[in-house]
Amino acid sequence: MTTKSAFTGISTKPPAEENHSCWSCGAMRAAHFCESCGKVQPPAPVDYFAFFGLPRRQLNLDVAKLEKDFYELSRKLHPDVSARASAQEQEWSLEQSSMLNDAYRTLRDPIKRTQYLLRLEGIELEEQSKSATERARATGETKKQIVPPDLLEEVFELNMQLEELRAQKKMGEDDPALVEEVGRQKLELEERYDGLLEELENYWKEWDVLIDRGPEANAEERAAVAKKMVDVLNRRNYIRNLVRDVTAVLES
Amino acid sequence: MAYSDKVIDHYNNPRNVGSMDKSSADVGTGLVGAPECGDVMKLQIKVNPQTNVIEDAKFKTFGCGSAIASSSLATEWVKGKTIDEALTIKNTEIVKELSLPPVKIHCSVLAEDAIRAAICDWKKKQGAEKPVAAEAK
Ligand code: FES
Repeated sequence: MTTKSAFTGISTKPPAEENHSCWSCGAMRAAHFCESCGKVQPPAPVDYFAFFGLPRRQLNLDVAKLEKDFYELSRKLHPDVSARASAQEQEWSLEQSSMLNDAYRTLRDPIKRTQYLLRLEGIELEEQSKSATERARATGETKKQIVPPDLLEEVFELNMQLEELRAQKKMGEDDPALVEEVGRQKLELEERYDGLLEELENYWKEWDVLIDRGPEANAEERAAVAKKMVDVLNRRNYIRNLVRDVTAVLES
Repeated sequence: MAYSDKVIDHYNNPRNVGSMDKSSADVGTGLVGAPECGDVMKLQIKVNPQTNVIEDAKFKTFGCGSAIASSSLATEWVKGKTIDEALTIKNTEIVKELSLPPVKIHCSVLAEDAIRAAICDWKKKQGAEKPVAAEAK
């Protein structure tokens, strides 16, 4: 079963080894350039992982290697290099190079990389809350909040404190006890924020182990790990806002 | 980003900001969040147990302008409605009224969620004969 991701419009299954041949010399084509004659190839409709020769989509990436590949490809795809090539080749170079930039920017960032993978898995992060609401509306059931209620409670309370401190600061009469309390919260929040990244990295490990076991065997397990990653990203959004707002208030 | 006039109006003059006693038997409280952006909204309703009419509503939102406007509008809309009528309010109506752009749809979803959560909380307190599937997950 091949599913299409609405977001990327490309196949969400790792592509089978491409067996096309070079448009110019007919030798087996490589991803971006022909291995035999070196000519640029038309961009293939692959995802960002495959673009970098990582068709198995592991989340633990060798970022140093990614960077090296990026610079090497950038150099080769640079307009100066293809200035004397045909118009068609120049256009392909341009397309390849714009995909290269998008792919690199997405994969080098741990959060963007995870979000991208989840999208490839058919999970629309922006739609999750809306679809849960639509389900609740249709069934008359209570929508389960996507993050734990405790967290919402905490976010709300801290925001109330921040509002108070903001008002005090405006009047120039900040209560030192409140400033200290919020300062303490800031440190704790920053720690939690880092902790969430560590948690996410643990799920990467789980994910990569599953991937190593083959693509078909474990759809359910994949979904379970994907869900854990979605949860971390959601919680992280709240903590990110708090860190941002606490910092802003303390510095105001 | 450009907000519509109605959003700006609600943002500058939010209606019904505040809170009610959470523990009171005729008050329902909904605290909800938008995981997409990490914003939170609290909406409370005070319901007449005889008529099931929402007599008062208050909100407090920590989020973007559209979320503040959506919740302000939501409190206006639910007031005077019965519980069942309030449950028919859809986020798409809020989107329309406030002319929210597609990227701000989740902010209106938050307001619909808040209404539903507040009603659910109130119903739970009433020990409603027909529990709103409180145990359903
Ligand atoms: S951006 Fe988060 S509720 Fe509007």
